[in-house]
Amino acid sequence: MTGRGQVRFEDIVKMHGEFSALKGVSFDIEPGEFFALLGPSGSGKSTTLRILAGLDAPTSGRVFIDGRDITATDARDRDIAMVFQSYALYPHMSVYENIAFPLEMAKLPVAEIDVAVKDAARKVKIEHLLDRKPGQLSGGQQQRCALARAIVRKARLFLLDEPLSNLDAKLRMETRAELKKLQRSLGVTAVYVTHDQEEAMTLADRMAVFMAGEIQQVGRPAEIFAKPNSIDVAAFIGSPPMNLLAALFADGDVLIAGHRLKTALQAAGERDVVVGIRPGALRIAPDGLKARVELIEDLGDTKVLDLDCAGTAMRIRVGDESVPPEGAVISITARAQDIHLFDPTTRRRL
Amino acid sequence: MKPATATAGIATGTAASDLGRVLAQRERRFAAALLAPAFMALLATTTFPLLFLIGTSAFRMDLAMPFADGFVGLENYRTLLTDDRFWSSLLVSLVYTGATVVLQVALGLALALLVMDMKRGQGWFRVVAILPVVLSPAVVGMIWRTFMLAPEFGIVDYLAINAGLGSKNWLGDPLLAMISVIVIHTWQWTPFAFMVLLASLASLPEDIYEAARLDRASAWQRFRRITLPLLRPAIVMVVIMRTMVALTAFAAIFTVTGGGPGTATEILNLYAYRKSFTELSIGYGSALAVALLIVTLLISGVLFALRRAK
Repeated sequence: MTGRGQVRFEDIVKMHGEFSALKGVSFDIEPGEFFALLGPSGSGKSTTLRILAGLDAPTSGRVFIDGRDITATDARDRDIAMVFQSYALYPHMSVYENIAFPLEMAKLPVAEIDVAVKDAARKVKIEHLLDRKPGQLSGGQQQRCALARAIVRKARLFLLDEPLSNLDAKLRMETRAELKKLQRSLGVTAVYVTHDQEEAMTLADRMAVFMAGEIQQVGRPAEIFAKPNSIDVAAFIGSPPMNLLAALFADGDVLIAGHRLKTALQAAGERDVVVGIRPGALRIAPDGLKARVELIEDLGDTKVLDLDCAGTAMRIRVGDESVPPEGAVISITARAQDIHLFDPTTRRRL
Repeated sequence: MKPATATAGIATGTAASDLGRVLAQRERRFAAALLAPAFMALLATTTFPLLFLIGTSAFRMDLAMPFADGFVGLENYRTLLTDDRFWSSLLVSLVYTGATVVLQVALGLALALLVMDMKRGQGWFRVVAILPVVLSPAVVGMIWRTFMLAPEFGIVDYLAINAGLGSKNWLGDPLLAMISVIVIHTWQWTPFAFMVLLASLASLPEDIYEAARLDRASAWQRFRRITLPLLRPAIVMVVIMRTMVALTAFAAIFTVTGGGPGTATEILNLYAYRKSFTELSIGYGSALAVALLIVTLLISGVLFALRRAK
């Protein structure tokens, strides 16, 4: 199935009256890729998915699948399967009938449908629930039924709109892993919408970060985590979020609250910058930036300390070994390569 | 000391449960007293007349020939079974009911589907649509008889003339009269079906239609496989309610055709009325009314069974 399911978005704009939901979005998805659309709610990621599915039409721009312009093609004729956030199961049909529906619409022979339905149900482990109605299923089972309905028809593109958001935390983790395995074994191109960066980071081969109707950055999750290209992406990716503070850049160093930290950027001159340091990249070390421990959040294996650093709130993640008490004044520092620098006016990475 | 305390405890427990029983009994009595007036009124206005009607049907009670009155047992029912006019009025009732209910549901559903897709003006449409329902059936009958169907002057006849069909005696021709009363009933009550089905349609989730589109269902398949099954409870409910009303329709037909020409539009209800109050055979009229009651019960029984099925 390689070579199928290539997607190209070309300068897609979507207006809702005066409001622009998408302001010129372009990206490519390679066949077989697990591609995540990540962003806060209202950032345009779901609109992008709906335009790809053909449920909404773009105001301008073009969408290609496998090199063919399908911007004006009806959703029916796009050969796309989708899992909805609400699952959108047909409430009056049994699980079996739900899964069989897309095949019946494709006018497959009954015997073939039967084999395919049972096969899909087995893949998502609901073969014992085929006689039930959706109303008699738990949230997790409904979600599996929706998945089975999407995979039963071997569509060239597999869309998932926040499929895990209605599951409880434990089930979400389990399903996440299964989803990834399922996608790999099917070898199908998957486009996955989520606002949960952890989900995107763990599942996606590549992802696009959406903010206010625009794509901020596209790349592999590790790449985006290591090199966020703007303040917004830096603040959005990572949990707890990156510490961002205003500072003065001077000849390769940054001055924060009177303290000098080395950076990896070799440039002469002085300028205002925004410094970003991940909580996990901060170290407790002598001769560093002085900060007072305000609060300790215990996450079990690690602890997150809320710090007050000369009036600026910061967070540091530490292991179990050396936890200072609340109220203590500690000294923190970071390695040069862990310090991200951003332009405060353009908000871009320096 | 210990046994004494225990006994006292039991005594208190018994007293408490006694008190509880007394209170519950008092509460029941009070509730009964509150319900009594309504219950009595209901008995007096529905149950008693019904029993009286069944009783009367066992008598010969002819106001034109009071000297022949007397208990006849099932005689009226025996007559009824061989009465051609009874069978023809029953047939008219069934045709009238079947046609009006089918038309109401079909048109109501079609309208509801159309209005669902309206971007603007839905509210206005609903208000305009409800108007016929709030009119009295007698008024509706009069409007149609004079304003719409009167030969030469009525709007319908005017349209027929202009369409090249020529002037028709809408209420004088047996077939046209039947069609006319069916159309009138449908005109007045389709909005009811429309409103119920529209509300039911509006409550259907949008995302399953999107899912169906992606599952490659055509518009017709989406309607047949998703909309219709999901609307089924509402449709069955409308059918039940409208069937009961249509079987016992009276005012509109009475004012438009009076059952005529001849007995062409004489539904069972109207026949019972004519027998009782025009021909003054109250005993036989009662038997006809009881027959209508039985027919109505049978049909609603079938419909309710249909509703429970699956």
